[in-house]
Amino acid sequence: MTAQPQPGMVLDGVAFEVPGRVLLHPLTLRLPVRGVTGLIGQNGSGKSTLLRLLARQQRPSRGRITLDGRGLDDWRERAFAQRVAYLPQQTPLAVGLSVRELVGLGRYPWHGALGRVSAADQARIDTALALTGVAALADRLVDTLSGGERQRAWLAMLIAQDARLLLLDEPTSALDVAHQLEVLAMVRRLAEERTLAAIVVVHEINLAARFCDELLALKHGRVVARGAPTALMTADWLEQIFDVAMGVLPHPDSGRPIAFARD
Amino acid sequence: MRASTLALVLSATTLVVLALLLHAPVQDVLARPAAAGYDVERMVLLYATLPRLAMAVLCGAGLAASGAILQQVLRNPLASPTTLGIEAGARLALTLATLLAPALLGLGRDLVALAGSAASTLLVFALVRGRGSTALAIVLAGLVVAMYCGALATLLTLLRDRVLNSLFIWGSGSLVQQGWDAGLALTARLALTAVPALLLLRPLALLDLADDSARALGLSVPQLRLGAIAIAAALAAFVTSATGVIGFVGLVAPLLARACGVRGFGARLGWSVVFGALLLLLTDATVQLLAGDAAAFVPTGAVTAVLGAPLLLVLLPRLRPTAAPADAGLGTAAGHAPAPARRRAGLALAGLALLGLLAAAVGRTPDGSWILPSPALWPVLAEWRLPRVAAAAAAGALLGVAGFVLQRLTGNAMASPEVLGVGAGAVLGVGAALFLPGALAGLGQGVAAGLGAVGVLAALLAIGQRTRFAPQRVLLAGVALNALIDAIVGVLAATGDPRAMRLLGWMAGSTGAITAGEALQIAAAAVLLLPLAALTHRWLTLLPLGAVPARALGVPLARARLTLLLLAALMTAAATPVLGPLSFVGLMAPHIVLSLGIRQSLPALAAAALAGAAVVATADGLARTIADPIELPTGLVSALVGTPFLMLLLARRRPVSSLQPEGCPA
Repeated sequence: MTAQPQPGMVLDGVAFEVPGRVLLHPLTLRLPVRGVTGLIGQNGSGKSTLLRLLARQQRPSRGRITLDGRGLDDWRERAFAQRVAYLPQQTPLAVGLSVRELVGLGRYPWHGALGRVSAADQARIDTALALTGVAALADRLVDTLSGGERQRAWLAMLIAQDARLLLLDEPTSALDVAHQLEVLAMVRRLAEERTLAAIVVVHEINLAARFCDELLALKHGRVVARGAPTALMTADWLEQIFDVAMGVLPHPDSGRPIAFARD
Repeated sequence: MRASTLALVLSATTLVVLALLLHAPVQDVLARPAAAGYDVERMVLLYATLPRLAMAVLCGAGLAASGAILQQVLRNPLASPTTLGIEAGARLALTLATLLAPALLGLGRDLVALAGSAASTLLVFALVRGRGSTALAIVLAGLVVAMYCGALATLLTLLRDRVLNSLFIWGSGSLVQQGWDAGLALTARLALTAVPALLLLRPLALLDLADDSARALGLSVPQLRLGAIAIAAALAAFVTSATGVIGFVGLVAPLLARACGVRGFGARLGWSVVFGALLLLLTDATVQLLAGDAAAFVPTGAVTAVLGAPLLLVLLPRLRPTAAPADAGLGTAAGHAPAPARRRAGLALAGLALLGLLAAAVGRTPDGSWILPSPALWPVLAEWRLPRVAAAAAAGALLGVAGFVLQRLTGNAMASPEVLGVGAGAVLGVGAALFLPGALAGLGQGVAAGLGAVGVLAALLAIGQRTRFAPQRVLLAGVALNALIDAIVGVLAATGDPRAMRLLGWMAGSTGAITAGEALQIAAAAVLLLPLAALTHRWLTLLPLGAVPARALGVPLARARLTLLLLAALMTAAATPVLGPLSFVGLMAPHIVLSLGIRQSLPALAAAALAGAAVVATADGLARTIADPIELPTGLVSALVGTPFLMLLLARRRPVSSLQPEGCPA
């Protein structure tokens, strides 16, 4: 029997530990190749760790991750960046770049250190600026932007990177409610229009349920639940995931389930 | 190992060495009746050997206490009077006073030393001000300050008077005594400082908590910190004033206490003092035992540096990595409109270039008046002056770009080629060529310098490999190497050998004797290396974002860092034979560019080359004319002129907002 290369990210017994502590217990699963997957769970449940492993920012202590059938270590740096884009939880504050220059960095995986910046690259930068609504800020320095604007500028860089898999670690953390909705809606739209996959850490369970196709719940470094938001939005599941008594009510307008803490 | 066990082992070893050292003279002296008239051996034992050992105990204890307090108050396991530049500041102040205003010493050596250490400490904290003062950043700034202070003190001594060997010996930390007076005086001073230190014992112990918790317990943290640092600096200044720079004892002793698992600040301070006293006593007794009659000329401080610097290298990997996104003041003073800024920057650069050209052209007639040569003189001048001007400018451009590359690579505004230790390696190469005839006699100084630079580079790369060339680590390793080499040069200079003077002269960076061939070589290096550096501009844009975003965008981190380090090292190695290892240009040029608001990598790199060349050309013109008919060393002039200028630039920069995110949580 010959092994068919599996598209997308596949984890096989992947674990991550630091001396004295296991941050992620051995995990075997396959991530979807399209649609938005939400990572939920308490603080310290291993969400960011998992994302960093997928982004190749850290190596697993054990196990193996493959992308399109090849081990992560076998990918060349730029080829991997063409395929996978990663937005860390905290982006550097003062970078001395204009928004357009920052977004232009997203094209690095394609043109490399010496390659020419083509008209196609420029077009993708323009598209990314327009999609995230920061075109008007293109000549401002990133250091001078507000938190929400900066977050969108970094997202624009990720979009310009044109990768098929987006890994976003709390992309809404610095934003107010309106911008949270806007950013997640944008991620969702991108995933649909460009048939991308996005793995997103979302703190707020209702936001996660509203914008994700699938939820992956972690607790103490283990996956405790995986499924469609409608399946997981029950008082029992949520209590298990978050260790706090939860209730679920239908949204008065849309009828979608809304979760809240009971105590 | 438990602290008490370690203390026992150290004491036992020390006792053995002391027994070996002292048993012969003591037996001799005891065998004779006390009143046997003029007894040289008895005098030596009572008024030289024993006071020297007592001095070792005192200095070790004082420095260790200073280090323990600094480590506690800064929560920085690498803090110490050595790594914060406190000792070096005191030494520079005393050297300056001795050379330029001896009357000041009449007011009291200790006051001068205190002023010097206060100035250098303030400078270190000004340098890291508002930049998420991480442990590594503070130590790096401190070591850089220490390096420049030490080098300036050495070079000034050289320039002022070539026979002040005693100043060299003192500067390198000599414990030699001629009686008990100095020891008693130091005892009094240390005891006086110990009183406030003991009063601060309890508040300082609270600093084991985080700042805000300590504040919640009713502590005024900034005032406590200031007071404690002042006490630590005073302790170190008193010791330095008595014996010169005795490096690394103040670092190692508290680290030993910590490594033994001593808990609680009071206990740590106590054990640090014990370890410091024992360590220095052991070192000094060993030096006396091994060096025999020459012991008076081997500065113990240089020996502790030779032992301590490698230890710092070993300890570096154990320091928690600082994951803080690189910022380090490389962003611009935000918000100016691009167009006028660009015009202003262009004008400023043109002005600098013009200044350089003017300085290259200006001359002095035999009667001392200043002239700009008429066109008729140009061909003659070109023949005589072109080689040195071309070499100086090319070296300046290379150093400027090397500094720019290193600052971008490390995200640290204090990075500069000098800090890599590559220049110091070149010094060591030249020193070896001068002092080890036989094997190296045939080599020219240039070749020897190149070999030394490559050797240090290889060591740096070997050290860096383990940390995947994490830039701050590489820099710290470079500074530690520098301290080591500085100590060796100090020992050489203390011998009073004329070859040591040649080495020091070479370090000062004289361009006067440069031949057309040598100028061609360095110009070729510039033509080759500068475009190579320009090719890396995209990495130089991406790397300041920090390791995570750079990796996410597909930058091959290890390879990119290695390439940039190699480039910077090659550029430094090419420039060092012309300007010496301490010209400051590599630090200055990128800061000029930054203050002009040039942000994009490629224009900034070009501007750094231009600024470096112009600064050195100007310094070269000054060095040639200002003390006419004596020529000063160009490298030293650019350092002396550049330092205040650099401080001005740094002081003008507004502190980065305190909203700076603290590293990514694990």
